[in-house]
Amino acid sequence: MVEAVQVQLKKGVLELCVLALLSRGDAYGYEIASRLAQGIEMGEGTVYPLMRRMQADGLVATYLVESPAGPSRKYYRLTDVGRAAFETQKTEWTAFSAAVDAILGGAQ
Amino acid sequence: MTRQDFISRLRAGLRGLAPPAIEEIVADYETHFAEAQAAGRGEAEVAEALGDPDRVARELRAEAGLRRWEAERNPSAAANAVWAVLGLGAIDLLVLLPIVLWIGGTLLGLFIAAGALVVVGAVMMVAGPVVVHGAPVMALVLGGLGLIAGATSLGCIATIVSIGCTNALVWYGRLHMRLLKPALEPQGAV
Repeated sequence: MVEAVQVQLKKGVLELCVLALLSRGDAYGYEIASRLAQGIEMGEGTVYPLMRRMQADGLVATYLVESPAGPSRKYYRLTDVGRAAFETQKTEWTAFSAAVDAILGGAQ
Repeated sequence: MTRQDFISRLRAGLRGLAPPAIEEIVADYETHFAEAQAAGRGEAEVAEALGDPDRVARELRAEAGLRRWEAERNPSAAANAVWAVLGLGAIDLLVLLPIVLWIGGTLLGLFIAAGALVVVGAVMMVAGPVVVHGAPVMALVLGGLGLIAGATSLGCIATIVSIGCTNALVWYGRLHMRLLKPALEPQGAV
């Protein structure tokens, strides 16, 4: 069950990271994938299914932009629902991590 | 693995999804390869970073199956969702499989029993008075009606249990798969 909890945690955090990334500006798939791969060491392949799910949930919307080299890029932007979800999840995460930090600090 | 291998295995794994969805997913990964190439990365390295295309395809198909069950709630969508979760092939599903088969078999048995009872009841009502001379017609008709009513409620209970079991399995699948929609929704998420 511990493993399942970790899976859940990581999934929740991934979505929060993507929301945070997009809250600073629209981005295309490869950009999101490489920034998350660098930042929190997740497989790049997981980004696309995640983006599809977030799109199906109405958190993000897409539009195509011509690229100077290669196929046109699919850009993702936050919807109003996505923005609201980001604010809620960010507040929760901050409170949660502060609580965990306090316990970890107290154990030293 | 080359770009071509990755894409063709992904495409093969996605068979069964709606063609536009397959094209969209494949296009996402094609674009990823093109962008990576423009950034100076080799095909093999990119394919490795993307992970196993068969697994990616299985999880995408499972997600689609689960979403369909949540949207439609009919027997075919239920079978599809159960099949999708089992198809994920995680090791702990080997433990789950006998349980699923046992519950599925029991439910199927209940449905068949309910169906048979309906038939018996109908025969008793319609043919009973004709075949059995001097039998109390009223008793046969009422008995037949009773059997049919009992069988119907048996069928209803089996249906409710089936829906519950499918939901439990979907929840279990979500809990264990990394890409699927989180089973425990973040509180307050819109």
